[in-house]
Order: sequence, then C-alpha cells, then structure tokens
Amino acid sequence: MSQDNSTWSYRPGDWLAIFGATTTLLLPASEKARAAQLWDQVDGGSGFAETLDQVLAPGLSVLPAFVLIGTGDGPTKVIVRGAGVRATLTTDDETVELDGSTVTTWVEKTLEGVSAIGVEVGEADRPGPDHLIEGGLVRVARIDFPARTADEAPTTPAAPEAAPLGAPPVGLPAEEPVVEPVDASAEEPVDEPAGDAVAPEEQPATELLDVAAYDAEEDAAEVREDALGPLDTPAEGVEAPPAGISLMDPPPSDDDGSGLVWDEDGADAPPLPPPPIPPAPVPGGPPADATVPPVSGPPPTDHDGLTQTGPATGEFAREKPGIPGQPPAPNVTRPVARLIVSSGDTVEVDRVVLIGRAPEARRFTVTEQPRLVTVPSPLHEISSTHVEVRPGTGADHGSAVVTDMGSTNGTVLVQPGLGPEDLKPGIAVQLIPGAIINLGDGVTIQVTNP
Amino acid sequence: MTGVELHHGAATDVGLVREVNEDAFLVAPPVFVVADGMGGHDRGDIASAIVVEEFARLADQGYDPARGAAVVAEILGDCQARIAEYDASQRAQGAADFHAGTTAVVALLIEQSGEPKWLLANLGDSRVYRYNHGALEQVSVDHSLVQELVESGAITTADAAVHPERHVITRALGGTGSTEADYFVLPLSAAERLVLCSDGVSGMIDDAAIQHILGSADDPRDAADQMVAAAVAAGGRDNATAVVVDVVGLVAETPYDSERQRVSLEEKLGALP
Repeated sequence: MSQDNSTWSYRPGDWLAIFGATTTLLLPASEKARAAQLWDQVDGGSGFAETLDQVLAPGLSVLPAFVLIGTGDGPTKVIVRGAGVRATLTTDDETVELDGSTVTTWVEKTLEGVSAIGVEVGEADRPGPDHLIEGGLVRVARIDFPARTADEAPTTPAAPEAAPLGAPPVGLPAEEPVVEPVDASAEEPVDEPAGDAVAPEEQPATELLDVAAYDAEEDAAEVREDALGPLDTPAEGVEAPPAGISLMDPPPSDDDGSGLVWDEDGADAPPLPPPPIPPAPVPGGPPADATVPPVSGPPPTDHDGLTQTGPATGEFAREKPGIPGQPPAPNVTRPVARLIVSSGDTVEVDRVVLIGRAPEARRFTVTEQPRLVTVPSPLHEISSTHVEVRPGTGADHGSAVVTDMGSTNGTVLVQPGLGPEDLKPGIAVQLIPGAIINLGDGVTIQVTNP
Repeated sequence: MTGVELHHGAATDVGLVREVNEDAFLVAPPVFVVADGMGGHDRGDIASAIVVEEFARLADQGYDPARGAAVVAEILGDCQARIAEYDASQRAQGAADFHAGTTAVVALLIEQSGEPKWLLANLGDSRVYRYNHGALEQVSVDHSLVQELVESGAITTADAAVHPERHVITRALGGTGSTEADYFVLPLSAAERLVLCSDGVSGMIDDAAIQHILGSADDPRDAADQMVAAAVAAGGRDNATAVVVDVVGLVAETPYDSERQRVSLEEKLGALP
C-alpha cells in the first residue's frame, strides 16, 4: 500500500504510537523507554522487518502487547499481540479482523490492496475527537488509516465497515459543521514552508508526550482538548493535506530531534508569539540539544545572570582526574597490590590512592573516589599530595603504578634487584611486589601482593 | 568531628539589573551551599530553592560523615528529581518548554581515616575558593563552555572573562545535560577559609579583588558582605552571593617548627641548655 497520503488519525489514549514513513508501531503505556528507543529507528525510516527485529530484541516475554504495521511497497503487513488489541484491515472485497487476545504469541496478516486500517488498543470506547498525524510519537487509544474525521461516530471494534474508507475523503468536508478552519486552509498555500506547521497550538500536544508530564495526564488532557480545539477538524487536512510536512521531508529549519509531532494543520493559527522549539524529552532518545533556547533580552555580552545550560561538547571533554596524558584509572578494581606504610597504615590498591602529608583529591566523580592516606611529616619533607598509586592500565594492567605528583623533595623508588631510582614527576612507574617507595622524612611504603 | 569549629558569614544581593534574586544559599554547619538559579522566566529561583531545601534537610537529619561523596550525590539526585517534577507540573499547566535549572556548590565536613575533611561538590559555574596563608586559589573547576575552551587551549583565562558565551554552562541541575558533580576532598588545614560564591561575584570582581577582601576582613561575615558589596559596586549585573567559612580551633598536629628543630638538633648534639 504505497499511497501518497500517509496521514493517519489517532484518538488520544494511553498507548504509545510511533508513526514512521512506512512503519507504524504501537506499544503499551509501560514501554516508554522502549518507545523512545524505537522512535529513533522508525522515524529514521526503518522498515517492517528491521523494526520487528528491534521490537523483539529483548525477547517476546517482556513485551505483553504491541502492534506493528508495515505499509511500504508491496502488501500491507500487520502484527497484533496482546489482550484487548484489535486491528481491522479492509480491502476492496473483504474485511479481516485480527485480535491479539486469542493467541499466545501474535497474529500476523499480510494483505494486498488494503484500503483501510483501524487499530484499537486499551479503552475502545474512549471519546474522540481524532487528530491527524503524519509522523511522530503520540499517546493513542486507537489509530485509523485513512484519517477519520471528527464527526464520525466512534466505531465499535466489531464494525469494520463503519467508515466509508474506500470512498474518496474529499466528500467529507461537506458534512463538516465547522467552517472557519476550512477557509483558513483554503488560503493556505499548499507549499507553505515547514516553519508554519510547527504551530504554537501544537505545543501542548507535544508536551503531552513528555515523560515527566505523564503523571499529570488527566490535567493535560484538558489542555490538549482546549489547545487543539480549532484543529479538530481533520476534514480540511484530508482535503488539502500536507503543507510540505512529512517524515520523509522533515521541517528544514528545525533541529530534527526537537519535534516529536507535527501535524499538517495549524494553518488557522492565530498570531501568537513565535513558537519555541519543542523539546525532545524522550527518555533515552537522541540527546536533544542541551541548550535552553536562546533567551531574548539583554545582549549576550552583558553578564546578566541569564546563565544557560549549554551543550556538553564532546571535543572539549573535561580533563580527567589523575595525570594529564595518561589513560584514566579504572574506577574501582580488584586490589592489585597492598601498600604497607611505615607509619602504620596498610592500604589496598583497588582504586586511586593519594599519599601525602595532607593529601587532596580533586575533581573526582562519585564512583571513583580516591583513597587518601595521610602520613606524618614533622620536617615537611613530604608534600601535601606527594605520590599517587593506582591500578595500572594497558601494559601495566594487573599491577600497581606509582606517580610522583610533583612533590617538592621528590620520591625514591627501590625495586627488588634494582638500584634506587628517582621518580620523575608525572611519569608512572610499574611497581613490582617487594618495591620500597621512600617519601622522605623517614616514611617508606612497602609494596606487596594483595 | 571534635575540635573543629566553623565560623561563617553569608551575603546575597539581587544586584542592580535583575529584578529577582535567583541565587540561594544555605549555612547550616557543617553543610554550606550556594545555588544559582537559571533563566528568570523559568523560575530558576524555585530550582535553587529546591537545592537549598534538600541540603537543609540533610543538615537537619544528619548524615554519616564517613560516606563522603555518596551522601552529596544522593541529595543532588533528589534535587534533580524534584526540579524535573516541578518542570512537569509547569508544563502540564501549559508552560511549554519549561526548564528550571540551577548550579550548585556544596561544602560539607566528612570524615576520612578518622579525620575531618572538607568534601566539596560542584555542578555548574558557581565556585569554591580557598584562602590559605594569604593566597587565594580556585578549587572548583567551572562546568562552562569557556572553561572547556580554556582547557583545550583555544582561549586564555583572560579571554574567558569577556567571552560572549561565558554564561553558558555545560552541567547543571534541572538541565537536560549532565548532572554529575565533580567532587573534591581537602584536609581542613588546607582550607582555613573557604568561599562559595555565585558567578555574580566571581564574574564581577577578579580573583585579586577577592583575595584582597579575604585578606583584609578577619570576620567571615564581613568578608562575605564585602565580597557581595564589591560585586554590586562593580556593576551588579547578576545576583551576587557569597558564603565564607573559617575553620577555627584547628590544632596543627605537627607544625613545622623552627624552635622544635633547634631543640632537637641540640639534643642530638648533646648540647642541652
């Protein structure tokens, strides 16, 4: 079924529906994280088989229900799984109903020449209205193709023939009671640039998708209805569809990751302030720009307190704790050595160990807390943070390495069978069991096996 | 944590330009916090207040001083969750694209190997300085775009102070970016005086000015007042907040002592007076 008009309609509900170019996927409300992950795939044009692979990757048992529809070239393919999940396929000469509750795995159907598809999930009799959608991620109770108009009576699951779906949809607007939007849409050039389609009214609908807003769905449903009120006349959308927006043709100016939903209406948007770019608050989804949108107001040269979060730019990754130019130590490992300090301490080297008169640990993360070992130094021969001992990496893996932290008076290392060696600041030296590290002021550290 | 007494002072000012003070601070020994809320229209003052509230609860309930950074990481996680909740409630009421955010610098006493130490945590571009023996040193490393540019060698520290994007921070609570803090552990003796401040102070007056104030004001309350007053006098383009903490009563366990050295030398030589 490769039709030009890829517009679906959906009725708001709990399930998560992902509308892609050739694939449509419905997941239960509990599968938010998975939906976020799959949205990326489906939106990227992932095909039926590919998407199915992804859906099933964690195993069938953990996914109680889903619906996958492939509407690419060739026959239409539909998979239905789960109790209370029903799909209705209409072709020119038959109507096929798929019910996921009758089987333990899933129901699959491949049909040529499908003219209409309807899928119901969850609360079947949830009241309308239906909204149009071409691509994106929304919460739904049912979805229909071709798009249903608002004034159609909600169909019951057993009424697949309800909608005159085979009929050209152009006839529908005549019955449409709301006329204003039609006017507006008539004036709207068909090739209106995408920017217009991301209309302010859609913001609330977009926000609904937000995970954080999920709990507040009751309230938000009202917001949605209010906000989308004037847009609830899909007839115009059916009649004069896509204003240049589709998944294959994303809005040119916007960051692709930032828009979750875009309908093609919005033509009748009253003049509102310029719409902020909707966020992409999908958990685990593609990281949206961490930027708060540029705040208008005082010029940026003025340090005006408009502190913003910016992108954590990868190329300027922060300096790692430890010694510059050396690979970071693994957070916490099996002990690779034991240090017996002459002042009495015994320390396992299972992480970074900093030894000195008053050692300081700088810029570490919560998972890589260094161990600080204080040694007495009445004559101040030992620097505050004198040496570092940590589990080696790379060629030194499995043993400890010692590094002089730029101490004032230096460090002497005596390895078994070798003469004394002055450590060069910042240069790590592998420690052999039996080695003695001399910090000065009579403090020595003996290295043994753990 | 016996034998340690903390004297502290704090001051904050809305500045000359802003209408709302989005900075918040907490002095609840042994916990000290400065948080700088971001984005006026998004109520950064709520975000910074959440941080202060959460740490106040920590100070109130007490914590295991041996756990160290894990304690702070937990609280920061709580803050992040509460800010996200607040964002969600605002968005549900129709405030599209609502993102409150805040920086946080935290100093609290912990115990390691039986000794009290300062644990410092930093998220964003608020700062921790230490003032020791007349010298000021910035301990925290800003999570800001310009700091990353400085570290990469693209610009100098002087350039950073006037860089147009110097107010863009790379980590914060409430943002969508990283919320992982950097931690620091300092022995108390290494930080006789600790300063926590928002960028409304460190961005308005330079380190030399801060050092001068810290050196001239003995009382930490005066030091905090003077730092904020100086920041406002320098233009006050942002909310300015400073918390100054002095560690007093610290017994230097083995001080370098010329008298003792001389005595020990005489002992060694058998030339006791």
